[in-house]
Formats: sequence, C-alpha cells, structure tokens
Amino acid sequence: MFEIEMGSGGEVICRGRLDAAQCARAESFLDGLDGASTLDFNELDYISSAGLGILLKTQKRLAGSGAGLKIINVNNHIHDVFRYSGFHTIFDIHAKE
Amino acid sequence: MRRDFKRHLDSLGGLYEFSEAVMAERKLPDGVRFPVHLAMEELFVNMVHYNPTVTTDIEVTVTVGDAVTVSLVDNGGVEFDVTTKREVDIDAPLEERKPGGLGVHLVQNLVDTLEYEYQDGRGEVIFTKGSGTDNV
Repeated sequence: MFEIEMGSGGEVICRGRLDAAQCARAESFLDGLDGASTLDFNELDYISSAGLGILLKTQKRLAGSGAGLKIINVNNHIHDVFRYSGFHTIFDIHAKE
Repeated sequence: MRRDFKRHLDSLGGLYEFSEAVMAERKLPDGVRFPVHLAMEELFVNMVHYNPTVTTDIEVTVTVGDAVTVSLVDNGGVEFDVTTKREVDIDAPLEERKPGGLGVHLVQNLVDTLEYEYQDGRGEVIFTKGSGTDNV
C-alpha cells in the first residue's frame, strides 16, 4: 500500500511502499508541485528504483525554476538506497532521528 | 517455497507478501528483508518490461537457510544478464542524470551473490542475501 497527501504544514506525506506499481500515483501528485517542497518519509517503508526515477524527474523539473525537494525523516534502508544511487549529492536528504 | 506470478506490475503486492511471509516466519531482520524485497522487485520488473509479448508466469522461489536464496525463472523471455556491470555515474550532477538504469545497479550492490543462466529461452536469476547481518 502507498499513500501520498499534503500534510497540515505544507509538507508532502508519503506512507507505505513506493514500488513500481505505485509510481503513477506518486508521479501524478508530484507533478502538481511547484516551487521548493518537502517530502516527509517518516512513514515510508520502502522505495525501489522506479520511485527514485519519479523523485529524480521531479527534482529536475523543479531545478528549472531554481527550486528543489527536501526529503526528511528517511529511514536507514532508504537512506542506503539513496547513497548507492548517488542521490545524497543531488537532493537535500535528512535521515530519521 | 515456490509461487508463480502473473507477468504484470500488479503482481508486485503479492510478490512482497509472499517473500515477507517466508522471511517473517524465520524472524529475519529488516536489514535482510529490505534488500531482498528490493532485489526481487527490480529483477521481476525487468522480466516484465523486457518481455512485453510473453505471457508465461514468472516462477519465484524463496528459501531461507544460512542465507536467503531467491530464484526467479523467466520462461520465454529474452536474454538479459543482470550480472553484467552497468555504467552508472552516481556522481553525475543533476542536469546530467536521467531516470532509469539504477535497478540492476542497486541489485548488484545490495545482494551477496548474483548468478544468471540462460538457455533455450529459459532465464534464471539466483541471488543470496546473508541472514546474519542487520545492515543493508
């Protein structure tokens, strides 16, 4: 199961498992973002390369207007996936405390 | 334990539940379960995407011993050697990055062993992930 919605503080809340079957929903939501945005991964358990592709596409689009994504509360497994993918150099990533 | 899955992304939920049940029964740590789930998805999705006209199910076997061993068998698909090193520049700046191409790279980095065999239209990927570590 994967859920994505706008939080009360303006951050994007992601929950569950972002696998290849859920990417269309994530892409549709993230395509609606304009300007700097924060993704809260506190309740996101899993992401695969398909999800990484959606994040990268969004980051490249936002960078065109000088903005970008900040990703917070990233669990250690997803953090490792980001590191193996080199995403830690092109995203503002904050691990879960 | 073996189960066959329809060659479709909608099978990913069932694929996760199947492997999670096998690994949870053995109380394997998240540090093993996470990379196993990720590698299974990446390999399964590759078999789906590279063989759009093939209709056979994909056979998945998960065995837990000293390590978790996973086999995915693709009958009728094209040859796709997932053990071949891919050129992935993880240090490239954002403007040079393109979506895609990370799946096999992640598999190669997250599993302990990775083998591929292809003969007469039958492709099989076997990977292992140790069960004694809590790290990805």
